[in-house]
Amino acid sequence: MSKSNIARTTICEPLSSLLVDLLRHLRYFLVVAEELHFGRAAVRLHMSQPPLSQSIQRLERELGVRLFDRDARRVALTDAGRQLLPEARDVLAGEDRLRGLAERFRRGEAGALRAGVPPDLGGRAVAALLPAFRRRSPVELKLREIGTAEQLRALADRTLDVGVLRLPFDVSWLSLGEVLTSPLGVLLRPDHPLAAAPDVRLADLNGLGLVLFPRAAAPALHDEVLTTCARHGYTPAEVHQAGTAEFALGLVLAGGAVALHDGVSPPADVVWRPLRGTSLLWRTAPAWPRGRRTPAVTAFADAVAEVLVAQGMRPAEGTLPRYPRPAAEYLS
Amino acid sequence: MSAARIRAAFADAGVTGRLHAVDLADPTRQVAVGADEPVVLASVFKLPLLVALYRSGIDLTRRVTLDPGDRSTGPTGIGGLLDPVTMSLRDLAFLAITVSDNAAADALVDVVGLDEVNRVLRDLGLKKTSIVHRARDFMRSLAEDAAPAELPAALTDPVVLSRLRALDPARTNRSTAREMTTLLAHVFAEETHEPIRRAMGLQVWPHRLASGFPFDDVRVAGKTGTLPTVRNEVGVVSYPDGGRYAVAVFTRSASTAFTLPAADAVIGTAARLAVEHLR
Repeated sequence: MSKSNIARTTICEPLSSLLVDLLRHLRYFLVVAEELHFGRAAVRLHMSQPPLSQSIQRLERELGVRLFDRDARRVALTDAGRQLLPEARDVLAGEDRLRGLAERFRRGEAGALRAGVPPDLGGRAVAALLPAFRRRSPVELKLREIGTAEQLRALADRTLDVGVLRLPFDVSWLSLGEVLTSPLGVLLRPDHPLAAAPDVRLADLNGLGLVLFPRAAAPALHDEVLTTCARHGYTPAEVHQAGTAEFALGLVLAGGAVALHDGVSPPADVVWRPLRGTSLLWRTAPAWPRGRRTPAVTAFADAVAEVLVAQGMRPAEGTLPRYPRPAAEYLS
Repeated sequence: MSAARIRAAFADAGVTGRLHAVDLADPTRQVAVGADEPVVLASVFKLPLLVALYRSGIDLTRRVTLDPGDRSTGPTGIGGLLDPVTMSLRDLAFLAITVSDNAAADALVDVVGLDEVNRVLRDLGLKKTSIVHRARDFMRSLAEDAAPAELPAALTDPVVLSRLRALDPARTNRSTAREMTTLLAHVFAEETHEPIRRAMGLQVWPHRLASGFPFDDVRVAGKTGTLPTVRNEVGVVSYPDGGRYAVAVFTRSASTAFTLPAADAVIGTAARLAVEHLR
C-alpha cells in the first residue's frame, strides 16, 4: 500500500465506506474460504486474482489476524479463519435482512400507514375500512379519528401519511384521491310539522337553529355550509356547535333546532328528510402530501372509495359548479 | 407568540397563510410565518415590474397606443375598456398598480422585457423571485390546464385547481414573503421610486391589508394579487409617529369561492398582529 493510500484510509475515508468495504471484503473472504483457491474464487467473483488477494490481505490487516495459510501448493483456513467464518456469514446475512427490509419499506410493503378519518364518518364505515385496506396492502393500518383542520396539521408535520378530509381545504400542497359526495338532509323531531312532508326546502327551516360540527374542526366548511344556507333563504336562528353525534341528537330532540345528516342510518328517535333544490353536500376525499404517494397510500385511497361508495356516496362529477364566477374577474 | 396567533388567525379564516413583516427603521425586527416558502405572486408581479421600469432609464413620458385587438384583457382599467387607448408609460404604470390593470402591465412588460425584470431582481439579491410570464400568459394557461373541464365552472373544482400551472409556484411568477418585504424596503428607500409609492398609496382596494388598519391616521400603500384560491397583498403601513412597516401576506383558501370576505380580511388581521408586535 502506498503512503497516500494509508493516509486516505486512516484519515479521510468516511465511516460508511469503511463499513461497505468491510462487507465487501467479508464477501470475498467467504468465497475464498469455500473454494480454498484464489484463482477459482476470483472467477466466481468475476474479478482478477491480484485485487482479490489484496482484499484478503487488507481484511487480515483490518482484523489483525491471518485468515488463510497460503503456500505454493494449497490455501487453508487458519484457526482464526475457521472461527471467524460463521461470524462473517452472520454479518452478511444481517446485511441481506437490512437491505430486504429497507426495500420493503421503499415499496410500501412494510411498516405502518398512519391514516386519519373524520369523526362523523360513522362506525360502519370504519369497520368496513379496515378489511377493505387489509385486502389491498400488507402494512399495518393505524387509524385516528380527527377533524379536517387537525388532519391538515398532522399531514403537514408528517405525523399522518394520509387523511380522509371534507372539502374544502387548501389543496395546493396535497394530492387528492377520488372526491365523493353525499347530499345532505336534516334530522327533525318526529312531531315537527316539517317531518310530515317527504322533503324539506332550506327556506322552510327559518326560525329553527342549526346544529353543526364545531367551527374550529373545519372553519372553511363551517362557513361554506352557512353561506349555502343563506343563499337558499335560511339564516339559522342560532348555530349550535356539537362535537359528537350524540350531542347533536340531543339538541334536535330538545326541539327548536335541526342537524345536518347524510341519511346513512340516521338515529332512530328522529326523522331524516332530504333537502330539496340545494347543493348542500359533504364532499369527501382521501388526501396526502404531494410526492408522498406510496402503494399503501394508494391502497388506502382505493379502500376509502370502495367503502364510501358502498355507503351511498357518489363521484363528484356533475355536483359542481356551485356558483362559478368568470375567470376574468380574477387578477386584481 | 405573535406567529402562533397569526397562524391561528389564518386557520380560523379557512386559509393557509405566509407572512413576513419588517420594521423599516430597524430591519432586524421581523415577524415571519412561512416567510421563505415559495408563493404564487399573481398580480403582485406588477410591483417588481414597476421597479424594473423605473430603473430602466426608458423615457416614461413616451406614449403608446393599446388596441383592443391585441392588448391583454382584465376586469379593471384599460383591460376592461372597448376602444383604443393612447397613454404615457408612466400613466400605464399608475393604472397597473392602482387598479391592477392587466393591459397596462403587459404593455409595460413588452417595453421592459421579462429578462430585464429578472436581472433587476437578481441585482437586488432576490434569488427566489422570478417573473416567467405576463398576466395574459397565465390567464391563458388557466384555460389550457383546466381542459377538458371548462372555465369558469372548472375553477370551483379543487381537483382541477391542483393541476393549474398558474397556481403552482414552481411554474408561475413566484417569490417568498421575505423577498417581497425586501423589495418593499427598496421601493420605500429609493428616491426615484416615489411614483410607485404614490400609486400603491392610491390603490383602490380596502378589503385586504388596509382592512386591518381602520384608523384614518394610519396609511397603507399596497399591491394585491388574486387568482382562484389565491389572495395576496404586499404593502407598507405608515403610522403618524413615523413608524413604517413592510408587510407581505400570501394566502391560499380552502374554499374555491370567489367571494370570501373572511379570507380577504384575514390579510389585514394578520398584518396588524405582526405590526403590533413590531411597534
